[in-house]
Amino acid sequence: MRRLPVYLLLDTSGSMTGEPIEAVKNGVQVMISSLRQNPQAIETAFISIITFDSTARQLVPLTDLASFQMVDIKATGTTSLGEALKLVATCIDNEVAKTTQEQKGDWKPLVFIMTDGIPTDEWQSGLEEFKKRKTAYTVACAAGSGADSNLLKQITENVVSLDTADSQSISKFFSWVSASIGVTSTKVEDAGKEVTGIGELPPPPSELNIVT
Amino acid sequence: MTNVKSVSSIIHSGKSYQYIDNGEPMRGGMKDVYFAPDRSYVIAFYRDKQDFNSKERLTKLVTQYYDSFFNREGGEYYKTVYSWPTDVVQVGSQIGLIVPTYRKNFFFAKGYATSDGIKGKEKQGLWFASAKFRNKQFALRLDESELGNWLSYFQIAVKIARGVKRLHAAGLAHSDLSYKNVLIDPVNRDATIIDIDGLVVPGLYPPDVIGTADFIAPEVLSTKHLELRDPSRKHANRLTDLHALAVMIYMYLLYRHPLKGGKINSLDTEEDDLLSMGEKALFIEHPTDASNRPKLDQQPKSALPWADISKLPYTITGPYLKALFDQAFIVGLHNPQQRPNADMWEQALLKTTDLMQPCANPACDQKWFVFDNSTSPKCPFCGTPIKGTLPVLDLYYQFKLTVWKPENHRLMVYHNQYLFQWHVNRNIVRNERLTAEQKVPVGYFTWFNNKWVLVNQKLSSLKDLTEDKVIPVGSMVEITDGKKLLLSNEDGGRVVVITMANK
Repeated sequence: MRRLPVYLLLDTSGSMTGEPIEAVKNGVQVMISSLRQNPQAIETAFISIITFDSTARQLVPLTDLASFQMVDIKATGTTSLGEALKLVATCIDNEVAKTTQEQKGDWKPLVFIMTDGIPTDEWQSGLEEFKKRKTAYTVACAAGSGADSNLLKQITENVVSLDTADSQSISKFFSWVSASIGVTSTKVEDAGKEVTGIGELPPPPSELNIVT
Repeated sequence: MTNVKSVSSIIHSGKSYQYIDNGEPMRGGMKDVYFAPDRSYVIAFYRDKQDFNSKERLTKLVTQYYDSFFNREGGEYYKTVYSWPTDVVQVGSQIGLIVPTYRKNFFFAKGYATSDGIKGKEKQGLWFASAKFRNKQFALRLDESELGNWLSYFQIAVKIARGVKRLHAAGLAHSDLSYKNVLIDPVNRDATIIDIDGLVVPGLYPPDVIGTADFIAPEVLSTKHLELRDPSRKHANRLTDLHALAVMIYMYLLYRHPLKGGKINSLDTEEDDLLSMGEKALFIEHPTDASNRPKLDQQPKSALPWADISKLPYTITGPYLKALFDQAFIVGLHNPQQRPNADMWEQALLKTTDLMQPCANPACDQKWFVFDNSTSPKCPFCGTPIKGTLPVLDLYYQFKLTVWKPENHRLMVYHNQYLFQWHVNRNIVRNERLTAEQKVPVGYFTWFNNKWVLVNQKLSSLKDLTEDKVIPVGSMVEITDGKKLLLSNEDGGRVVVITMANK
């Protein structure tokens, strides 16, 4: 069975304290329960959560939707986006199965990054590592005015921005992410016609601005 | 922010439709869907602009084809087979379809066994085509009350086959038959084909859909890299529908995909998938080429027991369906003209239901199974053997005055099994055109005073040929090994020969 790996990289730095971090937690929960209503997603999608503040850690390893359990997250510290990119590269190496003579491999992973600030670490070296891995697509979300869309553009061409990092915008972002996973888990097997950019995903809700 | 909006039909001038726009439509692959204020219909707007060809195609579907399918005798039955759009609307440059709301039984009454997560949601076909959702160890399994029994899926498959048969009879092709585009209700043994708007209409440009991954015919996948209008490129048509139909029937009876096995055709994942479903597609249960057998150690536990083709091989679906699966996945897989048509599937499914026996084990998950023609028959799902004798009736038709030939149709008897007109007379075909009167049983079989008997309810010329005795209506005849019964002396009337199995 080919899996569709999905990595969520979530900013949990100090600036996310309060409403934003609560909205992220809620957003993940709502996303999981909405994906659990989609049989295609349950068949193929596996979700991992990576958070980054002063360091980056994989809070939830790649897990199928039926067994997924969210763990608590707290907002604290700085914004180690570079470390998070390095970590997701390692996770892709370790968790995403390659096709071998013996076994069918997984689909290329989807990566969603959400941040409300500017990286405080040497993020370029992390980006270099990350760029060596193949993803089906990577989407970065700049949440609120403190994030830098142009910087995120260097990570991926698919950048969306939220005007404010309030609970309503953040929940819209997560519902769009779950719709995107839903669409991709359906389409991913139309071999050769893989979803590769933001153009083929469901249109983002009005609160999301696609940065071109 | 709820907002009632109004749109006009592009077909019937002056006709308009209202819908509720709360800014959050249900988003499908290509369309945004809004409800009518009274929920009696939905409006599905295409997100992309539809060109002249598409508008013309949709208009034909809701006018000319709607009339020929539904506004004539038998039309009421077909209204239950499809969720067919009834009108085309336009607002600005956006085109939308009016589609009646699905019947209530196509929404989950309970849904998951352990939560309310999908209660009230549509019963999209995939919920019932995957082994996972019926595995008792799987956290997101469906409640038993939603699953029906194995017989339910034969009836569901019959309904889908009839839907495809009628489309093809009209020269149409669905082009995207899949578990995504049917709704399934195993409880009421009901199914309906949805997303009719992709139909290929003769003489008009086909829609640009390629289909749903698991169901795309090999020839379409292997020519997909060619330009859209390249003459060598294969498009969705009647024959690709027949591939999809075969895959769907296999999946609804065996809860696994007939082509997804363990064979690696390329080390590149995407290319491997393209080859495995396209150019190099191979039946996982191919009798002589075992190279694509599923590797059980690479399957999730939730795929069992169905993933195990040695435990539940496709032959458990009986001889008639086995022959058609061979035809579809061995002979016709890369030779589209050889694929069985929808009518053949319908007839094989119906004949197979005549071979079915109820399982004696009340805890059996499937409740029904196909008699395997063995001397000591048992349920393949739970292993429970059949107790007592088992009458097997082979049907014969009159070829010449004194020559009777086998129909290749057999009826397995069980307690309180009915006999119908279509068993009695070969001129009566069991299909959707049967009249209400033809659906009334003409007799029944029962285990009575330690004997198998047939009780005659309506057969005016039933005769025990072995004992040369007429069996009038309201009386019964004992069913014994080797006995011959004439069911009717009318034109097309059949003789049955009885064999007692499991003696």
